[in-house]
Amino acid sequence: MNWAEPCASKLMMRTIASRLGRWSRTLGRCGLLQTRPYWAHATVWLLLLSLPLQAAEGWTRFGPKPGGKSKVRIEGTSTIHDWQVESTLVGGTLEVGPNFPRAQSEVKPGKLDVRAEVFVPVSSLKSIKKDGTPYSTAMDDIMHEKLLKTQHPRIVYRLQELTLKDGDGAQGLYNAEAVGDLVVAGVTNRITMPVQIQVQQDNHLLISGQVGMKMTDFKIDPPAPKVALGLIKTGDEIKVLFQWEVFPR
Amino acid sequence: MERALDWNRREFLRGSSLMALATLLGGVRLMRPEAAAEEPEPAPAERVKVGLIGLGQWGRELLDQLLRLPQAEVAAICDNYPAMLRRSAKRVPDAFTTEDYRAVLDRKDISAVVVATPTHLHKDIVLAALEAGKHVYCEAPLAHTVEDAQAIARAALKHPRQVFQPGLQLRSDPQRHFLLPFVRSGALGRMAMARAQWNKKISWRQTSPNPEREAAMNWRLAPDISLGLLGEIGMHQIDQVSWFFGALPTTIHAFGTVAFWRDGREVHDTVQAVVEYPEGLRLLYSATLANSFEAEAEIYYGSDAAVMIRGSSAWMFKEADAPLLGWEVYARKDAFYKETGISLRADASKLRAQGDQGQAQTETADPPVYFALQSFLRNTRELATAVQDFVSLYGDSDPQALAEYLAKEVRRLPAADVLEGYRATVLAIKANESARTGKPVTLPGELFELG
Repeated sequence: MNWAEPCASKLMMRTIASRLGRWSRTLGRCGLLQTRPYWAHATVWLLLLSLPLQAAEGWTRFGPKPGGKSKVRIEGTSTIHDWQVESTLVGGTLEVGPNFPRAQSEVKPGKLDVRAEVFVPVSSLKSIKKDGTPYSTAMDDIMHEKLLKTQHPRIVYRLQELTLKDGDGAQGLYNAEAVGDLVVAGVTNRITMPVQIQVQQDNHLLISGQVGMKMTDFKIDPPAPKVALGLIKTGDEIKVLFQWEVFPR
Repeated sequence: MERALDWNRREFLRGSSLMALATLLGGVRLMRPEAAAEEPEPAPAERVKVGLIGLGQWGRELLDQLLRLPQAEVAAICDNYPAMLRRSAKRVPDAFTTEDYRAVLDRKDISAVVVATPTHLHKDIVLAALEAGKHVYCEAPLAHTVEDAQAIARAALKHPRQVFQPGLQLRSDPQRHFLLPFVRSGALGRMAMARAQWNKKISWRQTSPNPEREAAMNWRLAPDISLGLLGEIGMHQIDQVSWFFGALPTTIHAFGTVAFWRDGREVHDTVQAVVEYPEGLRLLYSATLANSFEAEAEIYYGSDAAVMIRGSSAWMFKEADAPLLGWEVYARKDAFYKETGISLRADASKLRAQGDQGQAQTETADPPVYFALQSFLRNTRELATAVQDFVSLYGDSDPQALAEYLAKEVRRLPAADVLEGYRATVLAIKANESARTGKPVTLPGELFELG
């Protein structure tokens, strides 16, 4: 695997520092700078302090790209048939720290240095039929209303802890357990779920998983819309499936 | 355009099992099934602020329909004739009123405009509106010349973040969407021909004490700018037949005459046309301003049955030797002289009231333009939200990726698109050309492409 990103950052910083040094030496020659070394050091430190997190030793930042394989799917039941909604917009950032296994020999069960915050715009969730074709805009409206789209336009997930269980470094596939806070319609619940992390060939990650939950956990009454044929009641239990494809930034 | 007279009959019958179920349960009428809930009223923040430009007879009809739609807030009205403006202002006292359409386009809070001016005035307004970032509903025909129609269609395609909907309202009509499978699935047997008509006793001439105003009002009777009965009215029904046939016309031969309104006009008050489609299909069209008998109708003739559409009602007339479909045994029948029509009336939410036939029969359904505007408003909201969602994730630096996302993910309610509007307009222009010269006009495929 090629974890070139942090090294590149370090190299870049060294280049910046040497260039700044040269520039300040030039200024000094012009008589503008008397205390050359101090000035140059201060600037470099200021620069370093203001650099974003990914420049920190061994940390890599990931984010989604348009047209990727990201998808969130929610499956549920009702008195007439099962239903499903999907969105392909899964935003946010993921930061992977130095103890993330880079080879088979490094796979050790335990806590991983990973930070993540993920979001899905509520309005991008759409009802679909079993075959993936659009279901109904009226159902979309009911769902968006139940998710309090106007007040809480995003569903947010904040990872708290990621524990590596096992994995196959050669295949780049890791099984882990994620503990995080899921915020839906303004209600936060701590969720524990198994996730799979697949390191792809060109160094991007595909993180996937699924977890069951209840609508009422998020203070959402299961919708019971009136339709021409009577009343449809949806079940409280739902299943959330996701895959999130992120690329090094 | 897709070549789509080849829908599988079995698939169609399977798809209509809900209808069959409803009829087997003792239902007598066949109605458009709707599994979806009634659309909930949108929160005030989700209402679309609309500017209506052009307040003539049709503009006022559009205003009436917009006022019925909870998704619309008519925030501005515009007409270059003050009396028209005052008249409509009574209906929307809170709306901003102006004689200059640019003042509507300058309003940042107005996201969509409906253009209902005379046809030859569409182009400048539509181009400026698209440039100003507005979603545009433009009445059909889009323009009175192919050049103007091209300019409008190209500009619309250049603005993929904005909805451009041509006013081909029949394309949004649930009744037509309900009937489309009947015509395409083979339930009518082998399609033989179609006939359509539009009969109304109406002069088209309006009077005004001001000669200049009178000339402006009577643009439909000015041969250099009017597309005549075929181009202004007939184009909607001809477009519908093209849609149902799933084909573009190849030739049109039209005829026109001033049969009744002999007030010095040159624009025909009575027209007929033969519109040819591939595989020997023809549409026989006729329209008149001299007589209103049987008003508006479209009839599709197949070897097993005919379907007649009149307003929001439709009937099927079966041949004696046609195979039994099953459900028609239970469906409501209406007598038409010596024929019995099997009701195919689309009725969205009246299933619960199906016992009350008398009431249902007289009930007037929402006109197609109501659904066209509903689609327009919904689609503007869907498109704007999708753009916003996409940009919130990926920023706004990749227009290609955004276009792909919009093409795949935006849920649009049925409505005519840019190309359909352009094609129908080209057809309107050619139909009028044929009627004026009395000569057939061939319609090569490339004529309908934007190039």
